[in-house]
Amino acid sequence: MKDFKFSKGLVASLMLSAAVLAGCSSDGEEASGSGSEDQVTVDIFQFKVEFKDQFEDVVALYEKENPDVNIEITTVGGGEDYGAALRSRFASGNEPAIFNIGGPQDVADWKDNLSDLAETKAAGAALEGTLDGVTVESEVLGLPYNQEGYGFIYNTRLFEEAGIDPASITDFASLEEAVKTLDSKKDELGLESVFAFPGKEAWVTGLHLSNTFLAPEFDNNVLAAFDAKTVDFKYADGYKKIVDLQNEYSKQPTVSLDYSQQVEELFSLERVAIIQQGNWAYGSIAGIDPELADSGVGLMPIPVEGLDNAGLPVGVPMYWGVNKQADEDVIRESKEFLDWLYTSDAGKTAVVEDFKFIPAYEGYDTSKISDPMSKAIYDASESGNTIGWVFMGYPTGWGEDELGASIQKYLSDEASWDEVIESAKEAWKTSRAE
Amino acid sequence: MRTKDLSYWLFLAPVLLALTLVVIVPMLLGVYYSFTSWNGIVTGEFVGLQNYIDLFKDERFLDSLWFTTKFSIVSVILINIIGLSLALLVTGRVRSSKLLRTTFFMPNLIGGLILGFIWQFIFIKVFASVGEIIGMESLQGWLSTTDTGFWGLVILMSWQMAGYIMVIYIAYLEGMPKELLEASEIDGASTFQRFRYIVFPLVAPAFTVSMFLTLSNSFKLYDQNLSLTGGGPYNSTEMVAMEIFKTAFTQNAFAYAQAKAVIFFVIVAIIALVQVYLNKRKEVEM
Repeated sequence: MKDFKFSKGLVASLMLSAAVLAGCSSDGEEASGSGSEDQVTVDIFQFKVEFKDQFEDVVALYEKENPDVNIEITTVGGGEDYGAALRSRFASGNEPAIFNIGGPQDVADWKDNLSDLAETKAAGAALEGTLDGVTVESEVLGLPYNQEGYGFIYNTRLFEEAGIDPASITDFASLEEAVKTLDSKKDELGLESVFAFPGKEAWVTGLHLSNTFLAPEFDNNVLAAFDAKTVDFKYADGYKKIVDLQNEYSKQPTVSLDYSQQVEELFSLERVAIIQQGNWAYGSIAGIDPELADSGVGLMPIPVEGLDNAGLPVGVPMYWGVNKQADEDVIRESKEFLDWLYTSDAGKTAVVEDFKFIPAYEGYDTSKISDPMSKAIYDASESGNTIGWVFMGYPTGWGEDELGASIQKYLSDEASWDEVIESAKEAWKTSRAE
Repeated sequence: MRTKDLSYWLFLAPVLLALTLVVIVPMLLGVYYSFTSWNGIVTGEFVGLQNYIDLFKDERFLDSLWFTTKFSIVSVILINIIGLSLALLVTGRVRSSKLLRTTFFMPNLIGGLILGFIWQFIFIKVFASVGEIIGMESLQGWLSTTDTGFWGLVILMSWQMAGYIMVIYIAYLEGMPKELLEASEIDGASTFQRFRYIVFPLVAPAFTVSMFLTLSNSFKLYDQNLSLTGGGPYNSTEMVAMEIFKTAFTQNAFAYAQAKAVIFFVIVAIIALVQVYLNKRKEVEM
């Protein structure tokens, strides 16, 4: 009996070990086995959670039209998480065919895995300037998702009631005057404050706001910023003035004010009149007050002192890359799918109406763009009155972790503005020297 | 008894295999990577001790290490005091002790991320409103300064972990032989004397366990830190785990982050071992 128990235990133990070992090997076999033989499987690894459902619907439509293509989508949200997940996906050997890349740094990191898309129809249709960040020696390594833009979002009704014409705000002085007018009528307008300045969101202060003041320095060119060894902060004074203005007339304490407080709680409930945000805020505002989002807001550029008529900062937040290491027919099908998505009629309709994207390609019926902020951005980009998104070319982590964090220090009176600028310059230099 | 023969190792095989695969191999790999310039995609070249030299000059890392140390000291003390007090309370002659135990343990069942967001709401909104009503200026603007961020984290952590630690103390308190307590009572010991000389030494093993758990948990805290303060303002409430994560995933300095993680591991291991060793000496054998 005792022996029996012993051998039973031994068998169980051996089986467990076998299971542990088996767990390690199963991955590779499974990946190659899926899908029928004549089907090409295209793995898409993408990060935009907001349009996951709509994207899957569109892909289903494409699969119906092209029965020999099987598209698998994996969505992992958020900037940091996506980068980490993508790295581990590649490390595991289960490489996706189509994945997302951000700016020039991503292109440099992933260069060996990005195939040239210059020949695709979509690349031909891309609006001027949208391919700058992903072009390396005439090779186009990515296709833009869409365009996005930001500036000061204002409440048109409140402006009207305060007797301010948004078109008259063209420089810092007129903005300051408008803010003071609004501030003096705070009680009548039911405002808590004029601005809601989200100092907690380092990307708002350190990436977006700084971009407005650094873009002229780098000629609006993201690659110029990416290649720059140093940064001068020529417009540091103008930057300080905008930070001070937003901070002074904002609900306090600004250091812990976050995106949801700024957009949802304060702006959507019309408790502040102006916020610095972009067209992506549409969803958040519409979730609380659809009417306000559709007809009660406007978008204006952030004035830069010493520079007349700064445009709206418009750029491409994300690109599609096609894996160079994938099989030839997978690469071909991937390119075809992206072409279809951005240049076919069905794809175009989906991009504008279902995804609610601001297209980065020509030949779109823009009257279908419904929300006022996106419209303002598309109009601006058509007329060329825009400034570039050079922040995509900042040193990795510099905008948020260095500059944004220093601005939080400034807002808590722990550092002077000169110290903020000096430490940011220094950090840029060190990180580029490596 | 047959030891160390083939069947001995065969029985150990599943555990050894699993441990090797998921703990030892990754750790050795990690140590190896810390000597390279790995960026998460390609291994990069061998750079020797460069990463380790850099990190001792890295102010942000040292700041976060100091912040974590301060946080751990305060929370270990607070959690153990609160946990023991709660345990004494519910093992005493309280009517609803069963219900209270459940209630005190409850916070531990909520995930750290969610707790962080709940407490963020409490600190920012509820504190501000209450402060407005009772006219206390110090309740305004919580989490917007380093100090309030620090205490916010301590309060959150104590609230969450005290119930868990309470359960450990309860187990030891209830396992105490009643004769000893009765004998001391007959001998005329006061309540304090009874606690100091009978209860305290007998629950000493519980201190070892509880302090180990609270110490390592406080040091390795990540999710509560992320959702409550996110390291803000100006990264001053950033703890080591979060600092390492950011180095790796926002600055893409994977090898450097790995070097920090190795140092962090060494520090936590040393502190934990010293603590267990010291506590063990205080325990009494029954």
